[in-house]
Amino acid sequence: MTGTVKRVPSIWTTGSTDILNTGTWRTAIAVHEHRPAPCYGVCPVDGDIPVWVQQIRNEKFKEAWQTLVENNPIPAAIGRTCHRPCEGACNRTEYDGAVSINALEQYVGDMAIREGWEFPAPSDELDQKVAVIGGGPAGLSCAYQLRRKGVQVTIFDANPELGGVLRYGVPEFRLPKKMVAAETKRIVDLGIEVVTGRKLTGEDLGELDQGYSAIFIAFGAHEPKRLPQFSKDDSRVLDGITFLRSVRLDAPMELGRKVLVVGGGSVAMDVAGSALRLARQVEILALEGREVMPAPEDEIEDVIEEGAILNDGAMVKAVEDLSGTLLLHCIKVELDQDVPPGVIRPIEIAGTEFTLEADTVILAVGQDPELVDWEGRVQVARGMVEVDNDYRTSRVGIFAAGDVASSERFVATAVGDGKRAANSIVRYLGQKIVVEEGFADEAKEVAIDDINTFYFPTQEPGERDKVAVEIRKFGFDEIRLGLTDAQAFDQSKRCFSCGSCIECDNCSIFCPDMAIIKDSDAPLYYKVLEQYCKGCGCCLEECPRGAMGVKEETK
Amino acid sequence: MGYEINEEKVFSSGHAACPGCSEALAIRFVLNTLGRDAIAVVPPSCIAIISGPQPLSSMGIPVYQTTLEASAASAAGIKRALVSKGNDHTNVVAIAGDGGTYDIGFQALSAAAERNEDIIYICLDNEGYMNTGSQKSSATPSMAFTTSTPAGKLSPKKNVPEIMVAHNIPYMATATIGYPDDLARKVKRAMEIKGGLRFINILTPCLTGWGVPDSAGPKTSRLAVQSGIYPLYEVENGEFYTLNYGPNGLSVADYVTTQKRYRHLSLENIELIQAEVDHDWARLQKKF
Repeated sequence: MTGTVKRVPSIWTTGSTDILNTGTWRTAIAVHEHRPAPCYGVCPVDGDIPVWVQQIRNEKFKEAWQTLVENNPIPAAIGRTCHRPCEGACNRTEYDGAVSINALEQYVGDMAIREGWEFPAPSDELDQKVAVIGGGPAGLSCAYQLRRKGVQVTIFDANPELGGVLRYGVPEFRLPKKMVAAETKRIVDLGIEVVTGRKLTGEDLGELDQGYSAIFIAFGAHEPKRLPQFSKDDSRVLDGITFLRSVRLDAPMELGRKVLVVGGGSVAMDVAGSALRLARQVEILALEGREVMPAPEDEIEDVIEEGAILNDGAMVKAVEDLSGTLLLHCIKVELDQDVPPGVIRPIEIAGTEFTLEADTVILAVGQDPELVDWEGRVQVARGMVEVDNDYRTSRVGIFAAGDVASSERFVATAVGDGKRAANSIVRYLGQKIVVEEGFADEAKEVAIDDINTFYFPTQEPGERDKVAVEIRKFGFDEIRLGLTDAQAFDQSKRCFSCGSCIECDNCSIFCPDMAIIKDSDAPLYYKVLEQYCKGCGCCLEECPRGAMGVKEETK
Repeated sequence: MGYEINEEKVFSSGHAACPGCSEALAIRFVLNTLGRDAIAVVPPSCIAIISGPQPLSSMGIPVYQTTLEASAASAAGIKRALVSKGNDHTNVVAIAGDGGTYDIGFQALSAAAERNEDIIYICLDNEGYMNTGSQKSSATPSMAFTTSTPAGKLSPKKNVPEIMVAHNIPYMATATIGYPDDLARKVKRAMEIKGGLRFINILTPCLTGWGVPDSAGPKTSRLAVQSGIYPLYEVENGEFYTLNYGPNGLSVADYVTTQKRYRHLSLENIELIQAEVDHDWARLQKKF
């Protein structure tokens, strides 16, 4: 051929469909959301648990600790003593068993102590001073939160050392003193003035008013409740917290050979465990049935393994003095369900009478705050300092929380209350508080139905290993061994991360329209391309952890 | 954590597939794995619609729309033309539906397999002629409703994967969109094995034709695998079977009760399908 070659111009494909806005088809669009997990919803300190568990999974341990201590400055202690409502609420509970959140908290808390991690110094220093009365969980938590905001804080405590119930109540086999010492020191090192060995009373208020802009009362509850069946001045009848304190001070009170512990809470179990370690025969008498006893099941299990005999659902009717020993006339009871919350009314079951013999009886049926010299200075109701939702007492500038102001007697609750009270105090001091990034009011808690379980093969739950009973019952060494690195990693992998994106890319991978792209500027890692999204919802369905929601669109 | 899939961006947004379309998702992983050095052959089907209204294309590579019966023959012809021009690297891929594969294009496919043509053939199997309003094909399973089987189909699904294995082709695999990494890996494997016909059957639940929500494509496809209805496996050279994902304890009832095309089934019907599935699975298992 000669001449020029004519090229026929292409009449077909000339462009890409990406100029077509298929986004106009939809009526709803999926959005990435950080939604609250059920563990967060019940956490006494409002901890965003999936976030720090994910940091453990990513081996960002220090970040995990920093997330934890936003809300709780004593994770090694709370990681051993929390009543862990989170594990009860965990979406994994019904799937294959809850994530061992408490054990993970201890893991990170212990690591922080081992590694010597410190809190950063406050960025501002304020002139205002706050007096914190009581260096237990609530007081420490409040002092810490105030101090990190720059407030000048003095903690007054009647005991020689800080820690409160953690130091003088919870026994060594549950919470070693050195952990409490390390965590309290770290808080004090933020620059907190500490006055120990001084028990402040209501009469000291005048002095405090002079020097401090606000006062926080958190000295706990130390007045043991008594039972009318027992004589007040019988040396064979002891009270639980005084006994535990004596054990903590390495000068245990004298016990007879046969010990009967009355009570069904954590204190009763701690008393029983301590008495067992002092080589006594121990029986426990609890008003509630085992399933509804206030003590966590594992604490009950521990003492039974160690040889305590549990008589649950029963009470003492009368006490007979058999010159030397006490003979207790008991009866099985069931609890009246038809009572207002907080009230316990046992109903005797006829014909179930039995007797127990004891050389020593230890009552662990609760404590009341000692408020004699506070009454008249702040409003007291139902044996506690009365506070409003912002932890304000009846007297301006005085705040209270913890056992002194709450009937919810959990250490973790005290830590949470201390934190919230600190926020209230900061507001009172006229300081702006940086509002924590919480969840929007309309944010819906992630339920198990929001979890795509295909992505979570069942995996056995794993708790801390326990020291063999034949070894542990002869000493006060800690019962539970912390998680090993491998155990902690396995546990962290079990977390669904309900409502918290972990950048798994599923939303992007399952989009038939390529309408979700990774975007480092997006607040939640991804951007939905509105011009293309047809609103099918595959991303939402394939998100393993409920970290997406739907936004209806009206045109 | 999460899928690791390497994608080259070949397939574009803005295509006309229904919201949530499984087929579009399958095309995404096929094309984005094949890359740009490829030519596609597409017969009349939803795939032709998704590939784009002229003069626009979603596919980013040359696409030849052929007749419904001729996908394999057209692909083979293009490949031979390329080779005769000295191009032995461009992959030619036929992407057809089950109607164009199991029924109308079957003779061309079987013949291309017999000649062992050097092409990749992808069947996007949505178990019926869904583009024309849900008529039955020979890929429609037992008792499923289509507009041409209003009381449910009376015969079981044709086993094209095993028929293709019987042609002793170098590679045959089943895949589905609920396992996107497995799907992409199989496309990659098909690319690596050159010099013969490589066939992948991809189950792509049709949301409207099957009667499932727009968001349920991946989930429905996983249920098919987990209940044993659609095991994911691959076969090399007609003999070497590998199981990737098989039944995990879910039953046929778990699968059919989520789809409107099965809503007329009685418990007895479900048991019959279960027996069929159990039988097929027992037979297939012997080959691994």
